[in-house]
Amino acid sequence: MNSEIEIRTPAQLLATESVLERTARFERDAMQYTNQLYAAAMRYTKDPHDAQDLVQDTYAKAFTSFHQFEPGTNLKAWLYRILTTTFINTYRKDQRRPLISDGEVEDWQLAASASHTSDQGKSAEDEVLENLPDGDVKRALHEIPEEFRLAVFYADVEGYSYKEIADILGIPAGTVMSRLHRGRKLLRVLLLDYAKNRGFGGSDGM
Amino acid sequence: MECNEVMHALILFIDNEIEDAIQVQTFQSHFEECPQCLTEMEHERQVLTRMKSLLSDACCEEAPEDLQSRIAQQTALLASQMFSPTQVITEYRRTETTINGETHIEIETTHEIRRDFPLS
Repeated sequence: MNSEIEIRTPAQLLATESVLERTARFERDAMQYTNQLYAAAMRYTKDPHDAQDLVQDTYAKAFTSFHQFEPGTNLKAWLYRILTTTFINTYRKDQRRPLISDGEVEDWQLAASASHTSDQGKSAEDEVLENLPDGDVKRALHEIPEEFRLAVFYADVEGYSYKEIADILGIPAGTVMSRLHRGRKLLRVLLLDYAKNRGFGGSDGM
Repeated sequence: MECNEVMHALILFIDNEIEDAIQVQTFQSHFEECPQCLTEMEHERQVLTRMKSLLSDACCEEAPEDLQSRIAQQTALLASQMFSPTQVITEYRRTETTINGETHIEIETTHEIRRDFPLS
């Protein structure tokens, strides 16, 4: 007689979960991230209505594939991954915009490095940025290319590691690194520029 | 470790993306010996911290209230579709043909099985 003890993995336990149980678990665990998903969706779509639709579609996909989510792993990151694929599949389909060319980025970068050469400027940079209004920050973020914006959002707002961002965006970690670094540089140039236009630069010629 | 190597990988150090503890130690030893690199690192770290705080303050939109309820309705609908029983619709078609006083009766039966599948 076979007397082996059956050990069930979480995945097997989930297979026997009823629809009611799954719904309750989804509402308890996944619904708490609506605000964060909405803020992320705003970075993808730049539009409140599209962002709402994107979040709603993301929750539909997440619910129908919730049995595939491995309990104990990062649910928010799993939702962000679904948000990314939903965005790519539905919202970006018809908007094939040309990617910023590498040459263009290099020019931006040159401008970026030139803007913090002086030691005087250096010491003032943080103070100059300090009082920038949220609106300027949002505007700058929306001005940089989508690829860079998303890497910056996940790293600097959500605090994810390069590896985690790679999983969310479905790209290699090396690509995350270069997009993140370029994105930060572009953003820094824009923000310093806005600050200068607002007269935050002071007299040190920034 | 040379200054240019430190500067080249500075952002990885600031981002805590250097996994090798010995390498992290090498950076730290360099900063202890080299005030220029230390200043540069502290400046970059300070600006990055500032940018993170600006970005976090700007990127915290709250979802409109009705979005939450729309999602709840959608979840309930999807769940009910997962529950929905299978419907079998049976159709009978009777054809009666009379040619020269001879009558043919044909009866056709079709079964249609209907089931709602959740959206994929």
